[in-house]
Amino acid sequence: MRVTVLLFATLKDRAGRGQVALDLPGATSTVDAVRQALAAGFPAVAPALGSAVSAVNQEFARPEDTVADGDEVAFFPPVSGGCGG
Amino acid sequence: VADYPEICQVAAEALDLDALLRAITVPETGAVCVFSGMVRGVSGATRTERLEYEAYAPMAEAKMRQVAREIRARWPGVQGIAIVQRIGALAVGENTILIACASAHRDGGCFEGARYGIDRLKEIVPVWKKEVRADSQAWVEGHYQPGPSDRASQQE
Repeated sequence: MRVTVLLFATLKDRAGRGQVALDLPGATSTVDAVRQALAAGFPAVAPALGSAVSAVNQEFARPEDTVADGDEVAFFPPVSGGCGG
Repeated sequence: VADYPEICQVAAEALDLDALLRAITVPETGAVCVFSGMVRGVSGATRTERLEYEAYAPMAEAKMRQVAREIRARWPGVQGIAIVQRIGALAVGENTILIACASAHRDGGCFEGARYGIDRLKEIVPVWKKEVRADSQAWVEGHYQPGPSDRASQQE
């Protein structure tokens, strides 16, 4: 199965790209397995993955949540939008 | 639930406050409270040159709509709502975000809704800013870790 991984802010800078296609074994997988595959493929991203927030198909996800073929999985730092303060 | 105007957007262009106010005002509206975030250039001894905003746009707009639903659930008197986040490189003094809530009267929830909106945006709307100084730059990271109750599906 294949998922599209999106990275933002620090994670995007560390990977040198904002989008990665990852192949994983099996018909379904988990957010945590995607995280591990990402860390293996992009070691520079690994240190920032510990505190990263994850989302599947644009909704917050837990490590144990299921990921299916074609899903969009995103990893990003805790958000910091809004105003300067 | 009445069908009041709702604008939830990630914007690459400068924000037009007058147009936004017109868009969320209905004949029953008597008050609009606007929160406007700005790029601060001076924080104590620190000088910021600009902020660079990045968003996960489709999720950000979905989470803005969730924030608007949460505002309506808490303050049923709120009518039109606008939540617009600017992205890209923004200079000191520029407008970064507008959150506007309308109600029939000033005590109808418009102040509370706008305040809740900016606080909640800083928790669950996926937008990040990079602070650029004369000699360095760094991503600013928030602190909030979303939980199951922050999923839209938990609130239906």
